[in-house]
Amino acid sequence: MNRQSAEVVIIGGGAIGTAIAYYLTTWGIKPTLLERSDICSGTSGACDKAISLQSKTPGLHLELAMTSAAMFSSLGRELQCDIEYYRNGGMIAIENESQLSIMEAFVQRQKSYGLPVDIVTNEEARRQQPALSPKLIAATYSPADGEVSPLKLTFGFAKAAKQQGAILRTGVMVTGLVINHGRVEGVLTNQGTIPAGVVINAAGIFAPAIGRMAGLDIPIRPRRGQIIVTEAVPPLIRGALWSARYIVAKHNPDMIRQEDPEAAKIGVGLSAGQTKEGTLLIGGSREFAGYQAVTTPEAIGAILRHAANIIPPLRTIHVIRTFAGLRPYTPDGMPIIGPVEEVGGFIMAAGHEGDGIALAPVTGKLVAQYVASGIMEKEIKGLLLSRFQKAAIES
Amino acid sequence: MSDVIICRCEEVTEDELRAAIQEGACTITGVKRRTGAGMGLCQGRTCRRLIASMIAEQQGISAAQVMSDTIRPPVRPVRVEDLLCEYTREEAETGRD
Repeated sequence: MNRQSAEVVIIGGGAIGTAIAYYLTTWGIKPTLLERSDICSGTSGACDKAISLQSKTPGLHLELAMTSAAMFSSLGRELQCDIEYYRNGGMIAIENESQLSIMEAFVQRQKSYGLPVDIVTNEEARRQQPALSPKLIAATYSPADGEVSPLKLTFGFAKAAKQQGAILRTGVMVTGLVINHGRVEGVLTNQGTIPAGVVINAAGIFAPAIGRMAGLDIPIRPRRGQIIVTEAVPPLIRGALWSARYIVAKHNPDMIRQEDPEAAKIGVGLSAGQTKEGTLLIGGSREFAGYQAVTTPEAIGAILRHAANIIPPLRTIHVIRTFAGLRPYTPDGMPIIGPVEEVGGFIMAAGHEGDGIALAPVTGKLVAQYVASGIMEKEIKGLLLSRFQKAAIES
Repeated sequence: MSDVIICRCEEVTEDELRAAIQEGACTITGVKRRTGAGMGLCQGRTCRRLIASMIAEQQGISAAQVMSDTIRPPVRPVRVEDLLCEYTREEAETGRD
């Protein structure tokens, strides 16, 4: 058997796994990252580019996103790579009174956590975003929202980690874990056994399969999001643009069921942005459809109908591609981060659903700090896997 | 050194593609995610075969053995307006529009 020495093994080469690899190297730890396919080949390579603060639930989720957002501004310099990070602000388009009352309450709670965000009139919103429909009744605006290239970010983390001594191995499939006396001792792969005192499960939608190798039940499910790409057009959307329905779909799907049952079934809401090259990225949907990362005409039609109501000039622009990503959903919408009680040395870092890009820096930093120093920040204490086990016992 | 443009839509050069393949990209999709080649208006219809042969050359296999990228609808540019109609999966599968 081919034996290689590695103290810390990370499973998964997406934004989360590569971020952890990079931050571990800043502590002088040189981890081995195992990826079954290619770096950035899964969820991180099939998403949009918004780093949204406004869409986060006020509380721990928003606090994590704010910590992460503060890290983004210097990250490109740190990684010596242009990650195309821009803090251009973000807007949520509000279509009717019932959405407005929900958004007013949401904005109030976000403000109490220190997020700069306000409700603006339709006229003010259209001064900033002339493409918006005059039929909207209002919008929210936050200057804190930003954008980043998820591809540049993930490859940037990977490259910087490699330069600082991390070993990145692609095409390596994890087949099992070596566990002795309740402690992890190694990782079995299709290319031999790798000794490891610490194993970090950053496998995203595949995290449950890795968890089962440690006898753990990890409640992550793939939730499909479909996105439309248009031809390059002159500047049309400034910063990030969502519809209130997107926020409601994320936090209160029942309400959309009353507004539009067809759209509710596929969780349609608008999340739009424009790349540096000029292409528009228009999402999105939220569906449980197993592991099938395919696009469907029903969802593409429903997303575009919703999008064209909010951005009427879209109607004459050409679609050049559609794609789908599978987001690692958890029952409470929060990622699972930190050690597990059952197996020593086994650490979770998965389940970020659509927030993995926004939360990659803070996740990487928290996990690396825990592995290197044993210090568990209060954020991790709120994100442990055990919260689901306790919930199951209580119910 | 070659600054010959292989992906004309996104203006990606042969050198940039070779660097991505060197870095570990072993599929057309892997090259695309690293360089943006194939992400433009023609969606790789022009450069796909050239990139496949560059990967094949590097790996010592035939271009046919290089894993194809995922070809997604609408395949050629379609106006948003034309996609707004409520069409069902059945219609899509029987090729009607």
